[in-house]
Parts: sequence; C-alpha cells; structure tokens
Amino acid sequence: MTEERTPDRREDQKEFAEEEASLLKITLGPLIWAAHFVVCYGLVAVTCAKGWDIGAVRIGLGGLSALALAGVLWVGWAAWRQWGVTTTGDRVNRLGSAEDRHHFLGHAAFLLSIISLIGVVFVSLPLVLIGGCQ
Amino acid sequence: MKTPPSGIPKPEGTYPPTEAMLAEPVPEDLAKAQTARLRKAWAAPPGWRYPSAVNNTEVGKWYCMTALSFMLMAGVMALIMRLQLAVPENDLVSADRFNQLFTMHGSAMMFLFAVPLFEAISILLLPGMLGARDMPFPRLSAYGYWSFLIGGIFVIGSTFFDAAPRAGWFMYPPLATEDEGPGSDIWLLGLSFIEIASIAAAVELIVGALKCRPPGMRVNIMPLYAWYVMVVGGMILFAFPPLIAGDFLFELERSFDWPFFDPTRGGDPMLWQHLFWIFGHPEVYIIFLPSIAIAAMVIPTVARRPIFGYSWIVLSAVGTGFLSFGLWVHHMFTTGLPSISLGFFSAASEAVVIPTGIQIFAFLATLMAGRVKMTLPMLWISGALAIFTMGGLTGVMLALAPFDFQVHDTYFIVAHLHYTLFGGMVFPVIAGVYYFFPFIQKKLLSERLGKWAFWLIFSGFNLTFLPMHLTGLWGMPRRVYTYPTDLGWDGLNMISTIGAFIIAAGFAIFVWDLIRPKGHQPQIPRNPWDAGTLEWTHDVPEETWGVRSIPHVTTRYPLWDQPQMQARMDAGRYYLPDAEEGKRETLVTSVIDAEPIQVQRVTGPTWITHLAALFTGGAFIFPTFHLYPPAIVSGALAICCIIWWLWTSTARPPEADSKDVGLGLRLPTYAAGPSSVGWWAMWITMLGDATAFSSVVFGFFFYWTASPDFPPDGAAHAAAGWVGLAAVAFALNWMMTVGARQLNRAGSVGAARLCLVLAPATAALGAASLIVSVWGLAPESHVYPAILWALTVWIAAHTGAGVIMQLYCLAGSLFGKMTPRYDADIWNVSLFWHFVTISALVTCAVMGLAPEAL
Repeated sequence: MTEERTPDRREDQKEFAEEEASLLKITLGPLIWAAHFVVCYGLVAVTCAKGWDIGAVRIGLGGLSALALAGVLWVGWAAWRQWGVTTTGDRVNRLGSAEDRHHFLGHAAFLLSIISLIGVVFVSLPLVLIGGCQ
Repeated sequence: MKTPPSGIPKPEGTYPPTEAMLAEPVPEDLAKAQTARLRKAWAAPPGWRYPSAVNNTEVGKWYCMTALSFMLMAGVMALIMRLQLAVPENDLVSADRFNQLFTMHGSAMMFLFAVPLFEAISILLLPGMLGARDMPFPRLSAYGYWSFLIGGIFVIGSTFFDAAPRAGWFMYPPLATEDEGPGSDIWLLGLSFIEIASIAAAVELIVGALKCRPPGMRVNIMPLYAWYVMVVGGMILFAFPPLIAGDFLFELERSFDWPFFDPTRGGDPMLWQHLFWIFGHPEVYIIFLPSIAIAAMVIPTVARRPIFGYSWIVLSAVGTGFLSFGLWVHHMFTTGLPSISLGFFSAASEAVVIPTGIQIFAFLATLMAGRVKMTLPMLWISGALAIFTMGGLTGVMLALAPFDFQVHDTYFIVAHLHYTLFGGMVFPVIAGVYYFFPFIQKKLLSERLGKWAFWLIFSGFNLTFLPMHLTGLWGMPRRVYTYPTDLGWDGLNMISTIGAFIIAAGFAIFVWDLIRPKGHQPQIPRNPWDAGTLEWTHDVPEETWGVRSIPHVTTRYPLWDQPQMQARMDAGRYYLPDAEEGKRETLVTSVIDAEPIQVQRVTGPTWITHLAALFTGGAFIFPTFHLYPPAIVSGALAICCIIWWLWTSTARPPEADSKDVGLGLRLPTYAAGPSSVGWWAMWITMLGDATAFSSVVFGFFFYWTASPDFPPDGAAHAAAGWVGLAAVAFALNWMMTVGARQLNRAGSVGAARLCLVLAPATAALGAASLIVSVWGLAPESHVYPAILWALTVWIAAHTGAGVIMQLYCLAGSLFGKMTPRYDADIWNVSLFWHFVTISALVTCAVMGLAPEAL
C-alpha cells in the first residue's frame, strides 16, 4: 500500500494546486463543535442566571445541535471526497506530491469531522438527559 | 482597494530541482570556500561575548538548563513538603511556610518548568528537524529566554525571603486578593512577564513551522513534531491571553482597589476562576502534546518503520487542541453551577479521551508492526505510556461530576494530576533527552546510569503516588500542612514520603549523567539510532550553521528514503550553500507546499536583547513593591531598546533585490505583507492580543449575567458624546494608517508622510476622548465603573504602542528605511491597527450602547 503509483490522470491538475486556506479548512469540523459548545454553554448559563424559560431554550438548542450535526456531516462528506480513498486506494498519502498533500488534507479533515461529530453528540446529551438549572 | 505591486521580483528559475542538477558534483575548492564563509557567518561569539549568542542551539541549551534548574528547586520544595507530611502532627515547617511551598511548587513546575521547557526544546530541535539554519527570529528567542531567566529568578527567589506567594498555584480570590505582603503581586507580575515570553516563543515556533520548512516538505510529510508545535503554539495563543487579562484585572484590584473580584462592590470571584481555568486546562495539554510529540519521533526510530497512522496522529493533535478548550469547568464542578452546565463540560471531558487515546493506539500499532529495538529512550517511553494511561483512567473518573464531588480537593486529585504530568510530560521529556542528547551535545549518555535512573524514578513514582489515591479516598484534603494521627493516613503518607526520596535519587543520577564531564568519550556516530528524520543530518563534530545546505525533501523519512541526500547536503549541493555577504540567512517557503519564496536575513549576536529583557523585567518587577516611577522609566527604556533593535536590524532595504540560492533558483531577499515572516508574526501576536481583549469584554458580560444589578440602578455611565467622538477618531486613524500604506506603495511618499503625521494625532484624540468619557467615574466604588476604566486603560495602552509604531514608520520614510519598494514596516503596523481599531470600536460600543441595551 505504500509503493509508488502513477497519478490518476482523470483528476484535474488544478485541483491539487496550493490551497492556502486548506490548513484552516481541516479545522472546520472542530470549529463547528466549538461554536456549538460555546452557544450551548453560554445560553444555558444566562438562562439559568436570569431565570429565562429553560424548556424553550433546550428545544432551541436541540435544533441548533441538529444544525451542527448536519454541518459536521457535510464537512465530513466533502472531506471524504477530497481524501478519495475509494478511487485512489491510497490510505497513507505519504509522498511529497501535490496530489498526496491534497488527499492527506482530506483525510485529516475527515477524521477531525468524526471527532467533532462525537463531540457534538456528547455535548448535546446533557440537553436531553438533564432537566434544568438545579 | 487594490494594492499596487511593490516591484520586488518573484522567484525565478528551476523548481523543483531535477535529478541531473542534484547529481552534478560541487567543485572542491568552491565547496571549501563556501564552508569557510558559512562557518564564519554562523560562529557563536567566543570568550566573554558568548552570552550574546542568539543561535538556536545556544539559546535552546540555556533555556533547557534554566528550566531544569527551576524544576530541581521545585522538586526540593516537594521533598520538604513530603518530609513535613511523613508523620502526623509534624512541626518541621510552619503552616505559612508550607503554604508558600505548595504554591511555589505548583507555580514553578507549571510556569518555570513545563511550559518553558516546551519552548526550550522546540527552539533547540525544530530548526534541525526542518533542515533550517535557525528560527526566523533568533533575537526574539534570546529576548524570551532572558526575560524568562529574570522573571524566573525573581519569582522563585521570593521563597528565600519568606515572601513567596501562598494562596495556591491558582490564586483564588478573595484569599489571594486579600493576602498581606507582596506574595500575590510577585506571582501576578512575575508570571505575567513570563507568559509574555511564552507568547513570544509561540509566535516564533508557529512561524518557524509554517514558513521555514525545507523546500518540498509539504504539510503531509512534515515531521509530526512540527504538527504538534503548530497545534500547541495555537493553543498558547488562545489559552495564555485569558490569564493575562485575568492578571490585569487582578493586579488592578491589588494595586488600586478596583473591585473586580470583590462581591461587596458588585465583583465576582468566579470570574477569576473562569479566566484562570480557560487558561489552566488547555495548559495541561500544552504541556502534554509537545512531550508526546517526542514519543512520535522516538517510536518510528525504535520500531524501524514509518509511523502507523500519520493522519490519525494529526487528527489527535488537532482534535485534542480544540476539545481541551471545552473542559475548564471540570475544575469548578463544586462551585454550584447549574447541573446542565456541568453536563456540557463533563461530556467534553469524556470526549477528549478519544483523540488522546487514538495517538496512544497509533504508537502501539507502530511498535507492534515494527521490529522493536529496545533502547534507553524507548524504556522511558514505555514508562510514560504506562503511567499516562493510569492517569488518563482516573481522569475519566474525575470527569464525572458526581465522582468529582466526592474527591474534590483531596489527595486523589494530587495523585491524578501527577500521574498525567509524569506520564504525559516528565517521562517522555527524559526519553527525549536520552534520544536527542547526541544531537544536542554530540555525546552519548550512559546506558547503565540511564537504566538506574529509570527504575528509581519509575518505582519511586508509583510508590509515592499510587497510595495517594487511597489517601484521598480516605478523605485527606490536599494542601493541609499536617494531620492528626488516628485517621488511617499515617502509613500511606510515610510510604509516599519514602517514594518521593527514591524519585529524588533517580533524578540525582539523571542530572549527574547529564552534567558529568564527557571529554574522554570517543566521537559518536552521526546517526546513532538509525533515525529517518532530518535532524540526524547534523554535523559531528559540531558546526553552528544548522545545515551545510538546505535540502529538497520529498519524503517523510528522508534519511531512510532519500539515500543520497546526506552526501549532497554535506557537499553543499542543495540550497543556500554559501554566505557570500557574510550574513546569516535562511530560506522562507510557502505555508502548505513549502515552495521556496524568499531568502530571509536573520539576526546575529547582540546585547540589545539582554538590555531589553532587563528593562522589561524592571517594568514588571518594580510595581510588585509599588515603585511606580522606576517602573515607568524602566518600561520607557525597554521600548527604546526594542525600537533600536528593530530599526538597526529588521526589514532593512537589501543590497540586491534577489540572489542566487543554488540549483538554478533566484529568490527575492525582501518581502512585505502576507508573504513576509514579520507580517505572520504580527498576525499571530495580534490574535493572542485579541483573545486577551475578548476576555476583558467577556468579564463585562459575565458581571451582567452573574449579578441582577449590572449596571446598577442610577449608576453613572460613560459620557456618550465623548465615546462617540472616540469611535470617530479611531475610525479616521485607521483610514489614515491604511491610506499611508497604499499611498506609500503607489509612490506618493509625501501624502503618505502626511497621513503618518495625522494618524497619531487622531489616535491620541481617540484615546483621550475615551479617557475623558470615564473621567468622572470612580472605579473603586463599584465593578461597573471599574470595568469601564479597565477597558479604557487597555485601549489607551494599545493606542500608545500604535502611535509609536506610526511614528517609527514616519521616521523610516524620512530616513530611507521605508520606501515604496521596501515597505514591510507599514504593512505590519497597519495590521496592528486593524486589530486595535476593532478592539477600540467594540469598546466604544460596549461603553456607549450597553447602558441602554442591558
């Protein structure tokens, strides 16, 4: 699985051109997790402190969690396509070529989106399992 | 607004190099002349001038040894505490002395050992791993080191005068704010000073990992250590600033009685806890990740195969970096927050186990798939994995709030945190010392002494801390200076004390092995472990130039996969094999694909960094004793030193716009804006600064959330008219700063200079209006006027710095340092003002609009 292979001609060379933003792109999944986390924590903290309606806030945050999950899934799907393991058959992307770098960044983003997915699910659980501000 | 081109040439010539070019030999006499020139340019200064060196190899070594010394001192404090606790009702030290000891033990181990050691090791190793000549800003490293040395001696020295901080290493108010004597101030100001040095190092390391990789080393083949450095550098930028903001508020309370943490005047001690732990929990991972990165370098070598799951390890580094910011409240489970909030943090604390575990499994998989050669570094790594796993398991227990309620503030916590820190930091770092010692000192450490040290520290560690779990479950609280005899803790404490001295014996052997004279040792092999990464192309005997020539790298383990590379590097076949002008230079490459884009001049030996560090130290240390006039003088002198340093040796117009770097490539010698390393450094610094500012603003809204009357009824507000004027002035200032940049680039030098005269005036007007707007408010009376004042002070201080920068550019333009072609300075200054303008406008919005909105 690590031997040299000829690059896939079907893929456009331009696609592998330097992606300045792609280092930030791999953090997109975790950023969605972070945003979701901050909103959940912040809104619940204010709600409990100010005596707002925690029931309504829980439902609203449930909707936000669904949105966050959808976002992470979308990022993960795009990253899976960028990794392209099903077409290239290469799981390691260890060569110093633009193509391998492109697939590698897809792989890293894909794995990070899995972690973010788990993170969003974990952080949503208290909304479901814990009743309120007590 | 389109920026005209500066006219600096683009890279020209062949890249990547062809095999034929690489195969062509270098003429011998040319190589000889190049070697001589290179050696001369990079030589560390001899004799008494040696401390003026800025080479990463020298500064890194001093940094490591200083951190080690502080660690040994903090270790001795631990031994004294263990002696005191060996038997019940002991009176070896007084309660007050004991408080100083545990506060200083924790603070020193964290701030003077663990975090600085990461910076020290990275400064020492990273350029080697990247085949770079040095870090991009050697003088910044040196300044950081000297600051650390001064601050560290000041903080730890207070122990000898019975004046050390004594409120615990997290300095909770009101205990710490009300404490008599200078202890808390020493902690706050001394450590703030060191935190700033840490941020400087983080900037240096991030830019190093992003922009100073060798040509061809794309992000998917860079050493895992570089990934970790990048992640940890990023974490420092977001973790340290909240603490700096907290320190800022705390010191305002200590010095001027502004009641940020005093509930009788609307303050809230919980704000400190939040700010401290938003720093404090990521900090644990800031310590852990770079140490485990050492394992990621050692393990492929001993397994003699590439790392298994490179992308998975990148995932775990980045994932841990993010998740670790969602854990801080698990230090505050018993503060009475709503249980649903606790739930979020408990869930995130459990989630972080996943990426942390993944890297451990990737290491184990690499070891299982390889042919392991059990070396001394590997022995220490094995110890690390065993101990860290146990610490991780108790971490999973503690992340559950109900369990934490039971053992909070008991010795169970002490046991847990030492398991994670010894397993996650001390053991891997010692493994790294054994592994990299041949690279650092060109000598080997003793196999026999190393095994002795390992088994003593490993068994002593478990003897000390394993029983502490039980001591804690049986109810012994942490931080008590003594205990009565009939609670069943006597035997366990005695065992822990014996264990502590066994650890100390192990460390004594380790340190002896490190410092014993090794002159008689024969010359070591160049790559004693048969490793595959670039640092093992080092020269034995030592050369100070980093690498003879900067290679073109196309694989993850170049020494294994590019068999001819070493010989070609030595022959000077690759890039920058010469120092024609006798100046120090290194290559700057692009962020993702490491294509060579510039030759960067780097700075050489100097004393200015020492002076700058000394005066900066004065600016922080004098206020500890409420000596404000000398502090102000000291601060002004520090600014003068830094200006002189920047003026004389950064972003000077080069003799020629481009130069030949070898292998048919010509690169520009000057860069401005986003392609220059200075701009990246400014960007990264300001990201940290923006985080600190956000923390202060967070404080404002925290008070609003936490108390029912914020702002209090009938309170005086900031004068809206003046706030509005300030906003207008800051906006005008921004336009003129950016205008100066654009006009200068377009060649309208006169108009640019006019902008640079008007901009400081408007900036000063903005800051003055802001001050006038809060002038009538009494910050000692209530937290509301106090936080408005704090925001004003923050913006005014930044305005002061920004005005100096604008005048620096004006002077640059007048004296020919800054021209339309060479305009890096104004690019960096306008970047600074982007951030400060946003901060100023947010401040105006909070001051002007919040009274209506809240």
